[in-house]
Amino acid sequence: MCGIAGILLKNGDSGIDTGTALIDMLDGCQHRGPDSTGFALYESGEEGQLKLRFHVGSDNEAGDAVAALKAVFDEHGAEVIEEERIAGSYRVVVRFSGDLQKFSYAVEHAAKVVSIGESLEIVKDVGGAHDVDDTYDVHLFRGSHGLGHVRLATESDVKPEASHPFWATGFADVAIVHNGQITNYWKMRRRLERRGFAFATDNDSELIAVYLADKMNQGIPLKDSLASSIDDMDGTFSFLVSTRDEIGYAKDRLAAKPMIMFENDDLIAIASEEVSLNRLFPGRALDTREPPPGSYRTWSRSI
Amino acid sequence: MVTVDLKDLSTREANESIREAAARGETIEVLNPDARHHIGVGVIHPVDIHVRGSAGYFCAGLTDTPRFHIERNAGWGLADNMYRGSVVVGGNAGAIAGVAIRGAEVVIRGNMGSRAGQVMKKGTLLCCGNANFMAGYMMYGGRMIILGESGERLGEDMTGGEIFLGGDLVSLGSDAMETDIAEDEIDDIRAFLDRYEIPFRGSLRKIVNAGKKLRYGTPERQVRSIPYFNFSGDSGYWNHKVQEDVYIKSQIGRYRVRGYGGARELPHLSDLAFARDIIPGALGDDPVSRVRMHTLIGGKNGAKPLDLTMPVLIAPMSYGALSRSAKQAVAIASGMAGIAENTGEGGMSDAQRDAAGQLIFQMLGGRLGWNIHDMNRADGLEIYISQGAKPGFGGQLMAKKVTKELAEIRGIPAGIDLRSPSRHPDILGADDLVIKVEELREATGYRVPVSVKLGAGRIHDDIKIAVKDGFDFVELDGMQGSTGAGGAEVMEYVGIPTISAICEAERALASIGRRQDIEIVLMGGLRDGVDAVKALCLGADAVALGTAAIIAGGCIACMQCHVGQCVTGIATQDPEHEKRYKPEIEAQHIYTFLESVRWQIAAVTRGLGYDDVRGPCRDDLVALTPEAAEITGLPLCPERRDSGLPEINAAMERALR
Ligand SMILES: Cc1cc2nc3c(=O)[nH]c(=O)nc-3n(C[C@H](O)[C@H](O)[C@H](O)COP(=O)(O)O)c2cc1C
Repeated sequence: MCGIAGILLKNGDSGIDTGTALIDMLDGCQHRGPDSTGFALYESGEEGQLKLRFHVGSDNEAGDAVAALKAVFDEHGAEVIEEERIAGSYRVVVRFSGDLQKFSYAVEHAAKVVSIGESLEIVKDVGGAHDVDDTYDVHLFRGSHGLGHVRLATESDVKPEASHPFWATGFADVAIVHNGQITNYWKMRRRLERRGFAFATDNDSELIAVYLADKMNQGIPLKDSLASSIDDMDGTFSFLVSTRDEIGYAKDRLAAKPMIMFENDDLIAIASEEVSLNRLFPGRALDTREPPPGSYRTWSRSI
Repeated sequence: MVTVDLKDLSTREANESIREAAARGETIEVLNPDARHHIGVGVIHPVDIHVRGSAGYFCAGLTDTPRFHIERNAGWGLADNMYRGSVVVGGNAGAIAGVAIRGAEVVIRGNMGSRAGQVMKKGTLLCCGNANFMAGYMMYGGRMIILGESGERLGEDMTGGEIFLGGDLVSLGSDAMETDIAEDEIDDIRAFLDRYEIPFRGSLRKIVNAGKKLRYGTPERQVRSIPYFNFSGDSGYWNHKVQEDVYIKSQIGRYRVRGYGGARELPHLSDLAFARDIIPGALGDDPVSRVRMHTLIGGKNGAKPLDLTMPVLIAPMSYGALSRSAKQAVAIASGMAGIAENTGEGGMSDAQRDAAGQLIFQMLGGRLGWNIHDMNRADGLEIYISQGAKPGFGGQLMAKKVTKELAEIRGIPAGIDLRSPSRHPDILGADDLVIKVEELREATGYRVPVSVKLGAGRIHDDIKIAVKDGFDFVELDGMQGSTGAGGAEVMEYVGIPTISAICEAERALASIGRRQDIEIVLMGGLRDGVDAVKALCLGADAVALGTAAIIAGGCIACMQCHVGQCVTGIATQDPEHEKRYKPEIEAQHIYTFLESVRWQIAAVTRGLGYDDVRGPCRDDLVALTPEAAEITGLPLCPERRDSGLPEINAAMERALR
């Protein structure tokens, strides 16, 4: 019930800013999901530092959550370098060098985690692309790549924490946006849970993120992880995944969910509909491609 | 030449300019299309339209006779439902290119996406590059030419038509097979390619339907049928119904297909009673004149609403399941009563259009009988998602009923066991649905309401989608609704009762604060004006009657609708049987019945102390059974069984005598 978009700039000076590009692409397909909008943005951080984003709510509730988080930071030796509260969210940069999975499960108990990463920051809230930008200044992001998502809520409520993108709980810098429905969700989730992974939501997109992150953690490249996801997941899906250095897509064998891409020397852009791609190049007919059913691919940024 | 620049215009404004220019016979140029959706939908004049760039979804959709030239790519649903005319795409086309075309020529110079030509009926779809997954899926007729690779599962579940393949065959779909190609077919194709200046020297192979699936090998033997009322009567584990079921299954070795609805005892409006006694004195002699019953439905988003003399509509019933005469009788009666009729599946006939004062035109997944001209003369457009008797399932029309005339309207081969698909080619989620709704609105200039027919299943989610996708109203159908033909097990066991449907829908809309943004027409097992008022109390804005109208018009409830030999001439396409049906006489009966419904609605409303049908509310109801109380959240008051209504019935007898 949604629209997705992703962009990766292959080199520094294409004249395109990732934040603005994603806002435009999502505004172009907002009809697919008017309820909430989200962004996964990648901007290189400082060595040894982690960026964390949380939903903390408002007023007292927020104060309590932040206090609880700080206690967890202390306990795990995370030193706060920068912090900021924006609307119902809390952004903090910490110096940290311990076990990330343990740390992230611990902070999960104190507040709702939106993202954790060296370069990843996820921003998501109710409203359209421009509404979310007004609150979070998405257009200021200049990073190398990012994903975006617009959502029409049905099963779950219209709440910021139920919006996308999803972070792969427990794994730094992995994010996903997904259009479709994974029908063997519980089977896959139990498999991962038996191996000790925790899930922050019942959303099938989080499952894909954790699934892929787990594979990569075992040393399997993103590309091969995508290949096995197509075999392992049942249902209809078109999804985009991003890590610190790569983005990729996978599409189910039934080809029930749209996806279209455009690539040139400067960038690769992928979206649910061509109308989003055209927002990057107004007035130009683009040489686009529709990925075939059951296909996947990845792209890396030049480091 | 007229230039329409999408840089400065909304799609709606652009389409209005395009249609106006087309009506004047001018050539049109569309600048800065930037892959926007719905470009040029609804054009019905033979003009050239040049799209200078790429087009989005449904470009050239719902059109007749124009010639589109799209410089680069086209999105999903290219040339959707196009009658005559042509589209040439310079680049690639997305999924379901040429969906449901009915005579158009569609030429794609590049590749095309999945499920191309789904449910196409006539015309030519040519792809110069490669096709993709399931090209020709469920196609009923016409010709598809693929010069490149076939993609996987070519011709999956095709019923008719031909596919010609120039490149590699990746794999054939189920029930498709290769066959010999005739010289004149090749000549025809060469001529076609020459006409569009497409060089191709290779050889072609031909793929058609293998005829192994989609046929019922063993027909159901006709039995001396027991009427529905015995059929659904006395419960208990062994009874006439079970006996008949077992007997028939022993003959045919599969599930039964039959008409009518489930026969199981389920919570129903009759498990609710009015909280207060009806005050006989308050009724007066003529309650109808003392209650405001006038109802507008469908105007929420600026379209011209249906204008009803009472909050009642006729439920959608297909021409196909019903005979032309029966449809005509219902249409006449609806016109006389000042309410709205609905085409159901299978198209609109002139007789029906003329007789019905207001007519909703229904669109189903097979797009059988769907076309721009009838859309333009409809008073409402309806997207069928599912119905209460068989939510999630497609339609079945047995070969016996698929006559030449009927096949023509539907655009399919005559004499096949016709299964209508359970899904729409271009609606795979709420995100696609919103684009489809917009297409219908764009094609008809936002003039008429667009509604959705929903058989209640996960209605809590579905109704939220309905309001978020911008429908004007929903025709909400519960498990007690009937059908012209459905699998018996599905009718008995799938779905949720009508009272659950309305209560869940109300709760879901309240939970997102959107109740005021959509109207609900409730149906499924409503029998009379008393049921109607209870439905209004539960929150419905109006109700629809299907079975009741048919019975009023002479149906004897034998449940053999699917067989096609209806003795009353209602559910048949056989002229010999249909001859028995006298539409003018039955129309009068249906009309008289509808007037009794009107009288009852007025009398009960008045009796409850209101002078407007919008008055009755939940406070006026109690539940008689624990199940009904649980479902509705109404207080349980079994002691009110039979209270109140005898006065109404007595008064009605007096009034109608
Ligand atoms: C003969 C027959 C044909 C029908 N055809 C259609 C149809 O084409 N489209 C549709 O939405 N519903 C169809 N229905 C279902 C009705 O619209 C409606 O859901 C149901 O009959 C309402 O319940 P009721 O019959 O108890 O009043 C059909 C029902 C019957 C009895």
